[in-house]
Amino acid sequence: MATHDVVDHLDLLSDDAAVTLATLVAASGSTSKKVGAKMVVGASGRLVGGVTIGGCVDAQLIEAADEIVASGGRRLLSISLDDDEAFEIGLTCGGTVEVLLDRIAPRQGHDVITAAHRAAHAALESGHAAVIVTPLDGGAAALVVTETGVRHGSLGDSSIDAAAATIAADALHRGSRVDAVEGRRLFFDRLAPPMTLVIVGAGQIAMSLTRMARELEMRSVVVDGRERYATPERFPDADEIRVGMPSDIVGEIVPNQRVAVLLVAHDYKYELPVLRKLLRSPVGYIGMLGSKKRGAAVRDLLRDEGFTDDELGRIHTPIGLDLGGKSPPEVALSILAEVVAVRSGKRA
Amino acid sequence: MTAFRTVVLEHFRRPRNRGPLADAHASAEGANPLCGDRIRVQLRTDHGVISDVGFTADACAVCIASASVLTEHVRGMRLDDARSVDVTWIHRSLEGAPPPGRARCAQLPLETMHRALDMLHGAT
Repeated sequence: MATHDVVDHLDLLSDDAAVTLATLVAASGSTSKKVGAKMVVGASGRLVGGVTIGGCVDAQLIEAADEIVASGGRRLLSISLDDDEAFEIGLTCGGTVEVLLDRIAPRQGHDVITAAHRAAHAALESGHAAVIVTPLDGGAAALVVTETGVRHGSLGDSSIDAAAATIAADALHRGSRVDAVEGRRLFFDRLAPPMTLVIVGAGQIAMSLTRMARELEMRSVVVDGRERYATPERFPDADEIRVGMPSDIVGEIVPNQRVAVLLVAHDYKYELPVLRKLLRSPVGYIGMLGSKKRGAAVRDLLRDEGFTDDELGRIHTPIGLDLGGKSPPEVALSILAEVVAVRSGKRA
Repeated sequence: MTAFRTVVLEHFRRPRNRGPLADAHASAEGANPLCGDRIRVQLRTDHGVISDVGFTADACAVCIASASVLTEHVRGMRLDDARSVDVTWIHRSLEGAPPPGRARCAQLPLETMHRALDMLHGAT
């Protein structure tokens, strides 16, 4: 279940006639969650997801959410994270969060917030990002703009819709944020499909990678030429298992920044053909298992074929951050740590 | 470096006929399930002669070198003559037999080409 995917949350609370959707719309200082994080509070008291680090802040939110489930409406809460005693002894990171609380009735066809999230969910299912635009004041309204340019819903005014759609197109690339249109504060909530790990080589490291990927809410596709290795028994957590010529299979995957290709076969028979397909494609991350010496040899071979230093520089090898671990799960951890670092724009 | 290794590495770095063949009349795929070599051999024919041949492979150097020398050899050859090419010829072309445990790597392109030839036979 993706943290930001409200439809999954609602499905878990499908017995409840009404729920409160809490969305982190702004954060200053140090917070543990990204803007856009969500929690659904059911009338039955059940909770799914989370918008803050927990503790007292969550308690305030849940209390407010319970009121909204009972009485209706929507509310924007501003909460300080600077608990006084904790601040004195250095046990708080400080900051402020703004959380939008919306009462929604998932089973009612006319509920605009539910409809917006279902439209965004459909876009995500087809592999496209979407932005849901909601006002932070006034009644509930929502406009959805997808990566393919499709629009659903309205904010109630065609000129605001048009201006909001322009900002939404920018937010698709830059991420969620609050912005103002004609004097109204709007939240642009970017929802993106999960990152896809294409794991070439169905060995032990790959097994660990698929298990950890599930926890990190990443899709995993295991690719190998060997039927006896790439099996559901060995990879119960993989979203997809593909047996065939790895370079063919990798070539069929739509390349974009949300795709990370992990070459963990430690076998040039897969690495070279796959790299030839990847080095001029826009995938977000390319990593290859092996020593520095081996990585240099692979680069030399590809350089001879006409690949430039910039293209060859995209290969992260030795793959993963240097955490010092040697076991397959430890290597998998270092690889995923590097993927996350690169995705977050940190130097890896 | 042995002559075998020199030939294999030269063909691995500059394989002949590597790449998909458009409008192929026969295409067969073969795999060594344990080591993971995979190869596709494609043929075009004209009046009983192999007019063009290509291969695509995610495979080791021995397998790619074997495919490279084989495809060079059979281009322009009559189909019946191509069927008679055997692994001894591959070893001779590579200037040696592969080391123990790698025999299947050299054999795979040949077996795959034979299957492609069988498809042509079935079609005629």
